[in-house]
Amino acid sequence: MDSILIAMILALLIPIYEAWQDDDIWQKILAFTSIATKTSIMMLVISVSRDDWSIGVVAVIILSVGNAGLMLMAHLIKG
Amino acid sequence: MIDILSYGLIIVGIIFWFWGTLPLIGNRSVLFKLHSLSVADTLGSMAILVGLLLKVPSEWSLLLLAIITLAIWNTVLGYVIAYCASDNSQPANK
Amino acid sequence: MDANTIFNLILRLTIWLLLTNNFGLLNFSIGLAIAFLLPQSKTSPVKIKDWLQVLWRILKAIPQAYIEAIQIMLRPHNQEDFVQEKIKAKRTPGLIFLDIFLITFTPKTIVTKYDERGWYEVHRVKPK
Repeated sequence: MDSILIAMILALLIPIYEAWQDDDIWQKILAFTSIATKTSIMMLVISVSRDDWSIGVVAVIILSVGNAGLMLMAHLIKG
Repeated sequence: MIDILSYGLIIVGIIFWFWGTLPLIGNRSVLFKLHSLSVADTLGSMAILVGLLLKVPSEWSLLLLAIITLAIWNTVLGYVIAYCASDNSQPANK
Repeated sequence: MDANTIFNLILRLTIWLLLTNNFGLLNFSIGLAIAFLLPQSKTSPVKIKDWLQVLWRILKAIPQAYIEAIQIMLRPHNQEDFVQEKIKAKRTPGLIFLDIFLITFTPKTIVTKYDERGWYEVHRVKPK
């Protein structure tokens, strides 16, 4: 379970790096959506590995509210 | 048996994650990256969640809700970003 | 009560039950009350047959999405292009949303634009 989590953290570093190095706003937003999804999946994995469902409930709520903020921001930036 | 299946699905999901996220760094268009991100973030994450579901079937209701909302929101967000970004980056098509 | 209202109620009740993870009678009735109290959207009525068809298409789309994902992974798809797809006649907004959802859900195709005169603009990737 630990090695799975380490692999996930490594995968998470890719969009973080991309968000830092790319100046185009859409590429940045794309990287941020990827970060958002990956972290909430990681929360669920952690909650399973620790057998602590209060973390899991938070992750499910984050997933079900979704990336509504990012959608709104995309529309605002598009103008 | 179920343990092997669930770890298998999680590993497949992580492979999807890496495969779909690595093109982010390259110099492709937003839309091309969006295709590979839908492999990684929608399908890969769904595989991971199904793997977790097999591991802890007692929490099936929360995990099922997570799978459904993940699929819906990621797809809709993909469409919204494609719609917003294509207006900017491909003016020649309009 | 038309089919659409019933479908909406069932959808809300399902989400409530899944989120609270409690299938007792009390929680069931609370969920039912909330499903009734939330404002109903006014949409044009849809036949149950259409919804069943939609459910079936969603179930078919999941394995298809994985097949396409594996195809993309095995062979590099480097060509990109835009195609226009015609919307079938007489679609309600809900069904159009589902069409767009299903096209975008599969990794090879993404809807980038929906034109009210009856076209989707679809972006595809193809092998060389």
